Amino acid sequence: MSSRRVTAAAVLTGLPDITHARLRALLRRWPDPVDALDAVVRSATAGCFDPPVPAATRRDWRTFAADTRGTAAIGATVSARGTRALRAVDPTFPIDPELIPDHPAILLAEGKRYDALDAPRVAIVGTRAATPHGLDDARSLAADLVAEGVTVVSGLAIGIDAAAHQGALDAGGLTVGVVATGLDVEYPRRHRSLYAQVRASGLVLSESGFGIRPEPRRFPIRNRIIAALADVTVVVEATARGGARITAEHAMRYGRDVFAVPGSRRNPAAEGCNELIRDGAHPLLRNDDVLLRLGCTPGSRRRPTPAPVRLPVDGDAARVLAAFGGEPATPDQLAHHCALGVGAVALALCTLARDGWARSEGGHWWPT
Amino acid sequence: MLATLRSATLVGIDGRPVRVEVHVSTGLPAYHVVGLPDASGRESRERVRAALLSSDLPWPMQRITVNLAPGGLRKTGAGFELAVAIGLLVAGEALPYSVVTDLGVLGELGLDGSVRRVPGVLALVDALRRAGVRRVIVPLANAAEAALVDGVEICPARTLAELRACLEGEADWPAIPALPPPSPDRGDGADSEEPLDLADVRGLPTARLALAASAAGGHHLLLVGPPGTGKTMLARRLPTILPELTREAALEVTRIHSVAGHAPTHTLASTPPFRAPHHTASTAALVGGGSGRPSPGEVTLAHHGILFLDELGEFAPSTLDALRQPLEDGVVRIARQGMTLAFPARFVLVACTNPCPCGLGARACRCDRAQRSRYGRRLSAPLLDRFDLRLPVEPSELGEPPGVASAVTREQVMVAVERQRARLCGTSWSHNARIPAGALERFVPLSAAAAEAWLLLSGARELTGRGSARIRRVARTLADLDDRDEITATDLATAGVLRADITVS
Repeated sequence: MSSRRVTAAAVLTGLPDITHARLRALLRRWPDPVDALDAVVRSATAGCFDPPVPAATRRDWRTFAADTRGTAAIGATVSARGTRALRAVDPTFPIDPELIPDHPAILLAEGKRYDALDAPRVAIVGTRAATPHGLDDARSLAADLVAEGVTVVSGLAIGIDAAAHQGALDAGGLTVGVVATGLDVEYPRRHRSLYAQVRASGLVLSESGFGIRPEPRRFPIRNRIIAALADVTVVVEATARGGARITAEHAMRYGRDVFAVPGSRRNPAAEGCNELIRDGAHPLLRNDDVLLRLGCTPGSRRRPTPAPVRLPVDGDAARVLAAFGGEPATPDQLAHHCALGVGAVALALCTLARDGWARSEGGHWWPT
Repeated sequence: MLATLRSATLVGIDGRPVRVEVHVSTGLPAYHVVGLPDASGRESRERVRAALLSSDLPWPMQRITVNLAPGGLRKTGAGFELAVAIGLLVAGEALPYSVVTDLGVLGELGLDGSVRRVPGVLALVDALRRAGVRRVIVPLANAAEAALVDGVEICPARTLAELRACLEGEADWPAIPALPPPSPDRGDGADSEEPLDLADVRGLPTARLALAASAAGGHHLLLVGPPGTGKTMLARRLPTILPELTREAALEVTRIHSVAGHAPTHTLASTPPFRAPHHTASTAALVGGGSGRPSPGEVTLAHHGILFLDELGEFAPSTLDALRQPLEDGVVRIARQGMTLAFPARFVLVACTNPCPCGLGARACRCDRAQRSRYGRRLSAPLLDRFDLRLPVEPSELGEPPGVASAVTREQVMVAVERQRARLCGTSWSHNARIPAGALERFVPLSAAAAEAWLLLSGARELTGRGSARIRRVARTLADLDDRDEITATDLATAGVLRADITVS
């Protein structure tokens, strides 16, 4: 696509108060973004919206689109960043517009690996307030999936999202981040290096124009793109009311398979997942369940990796392991439950850590 | 007519000898002080005059010039007034010059002629002794403290009139009061109606062990946990298990606290100081400095003792980072125009903090990520790394028996301290925690079995070199607490558990 066309697409996505429905209507009438932008400048767009767009909004659009300095700046940004625009009318668009009525009309894309969209895609999403268990689950699931050639899709947020991207990157796989801000905004800021890694080993996608700041209302709207891109959506940890549940509900609405990792009912970060399972999501018991659902034969493309060997534990170590009951604990709590001294518990914990049964994180010891 | 007396002023926590020269000559009656006195030095005119007149001693109606030499040294405080008054008596020929030859004089005057205490007498008398002065007049209230300096004759002064009589040989010097016995209160002194005791705290065996290790080996300790779990309760009881100070340390502590004008100035400190500044403390209050005369901060007041920072996460981040240098060097250097002061600051840092603003931590935290990360940023990684002992404190289970009493734990600590002193005898390191990494092989050797456990532990925890050295030192202290020479695998494992990888946020 010519840079002129990409610039027009970037200007259109940045129009004030544009919504995905309005942009869809606009591009249905003028499939080429250059023509659509021209129509906006000429104020010839009145008739193509249902419900109609207020005249004042269309005037704002015209002001925005006719500002030649502003559009030149957007053009400069496009060429500087190497941004591309994916249109829903293109046959290669990663979302089938026939199946997904509220698909984005334009996705702005940046990154090195456009082939990431050709592979089967699995979304791994979850809460920002994840537990160490949840982060570990997201990482290991992402690593197992990319080993089968699956692309991991997520939202570049803190917590489960970041762990999923990182798991895919660490395993040398492809990953796609769908963001709710402009591609040049990079939110949250502490993920700047993660953004760079995802760009290098995949793509970052957005339906919002450059410079659009993170606003709370944009995140649920973005989540529908994650659900639409993914053949299967996996929710690793979710609170009762969180963005990950919204993604899962979009996926169910699109008729896609949704998996949720079951958790303890005591864990607030597992509440959303357990509710999803009650409402019809598949419980994710093994990572391979996702692959089977995708139609991959687990292990076919994976290098045979021996299952981690865990030495059996006995004596004090076994008592301490049993005392965890699957929950994190402090040495004091373990000492109390096992009626052991501090030294004995410490020695048992070190043995458990060496043999891969437990690890310490954030001051607590977690069974693994 | 000229009279010269010896006195001293404080620079930092050290004394510097000062010559007080009093010159009385014909001319219009006037009184001038030269030689960089501070405001209280310039005010001395009124006090000296009233004190002389109240004591029925003559005030020369002549031109009086007082010079404080060396002229380039900034003098602080009102401690020269007694020297000026005696100088005036000599210059006015009310006293023979011979009685004040090479006499050191310290003291502030009241309008009624009484001699009042001055801060930092120990340091001042010591400075005079080093300057060759063999006889020093000090206020009676400071006499016991001054008498701690060997090789100087201390002459206590109660009032100016009595002092004149004593100098003339018409009366005997008052007796130096005996050092009061160290106060039996071993608590922090804040509200010591109920003596604190470790037996008050139930459960928390790991935290108790860490507390004992901190007391014995001088390891910095960080307790992290939700409110109400007993972190502060435990830390406040640390003084009840601390070993007594050695005489050298006691002199140093007394000297610092005397300079700062803190109690106890009338007694030799026998217990290690326990300083607990509030979390609103400024950087200057914590590490020292301030405008005017740079004064020692809490870290210096905690020298040879404990600096307890409750609610570590509430301290200003810049204030906490200012602690890093004294933690490393054991000394605070404060630069002022024309001078650099070194305040000793070898203290053990004991801190408590909540894991996040809501305090509930790992599992039940209600804070959002932004809040937690803001909170976590206050405790920088380099600061967290300096704690040898870091552990989570969770509410103890119901029905835990009362804990071991302080007296029992203190016995254990004393045993460990004795072993530690014997080991580090002849080195400059006072505690296991201060053994440099390079000397660990020599002072903390590991048996073959322990070395194996050591490798196991290092591998299991992915420890850095510095982290593993810290664990080794703590293991040494744990074995000392158990009165054992050999470090076992259990000691190393326990030391590892006592240094949990706390990440606040």
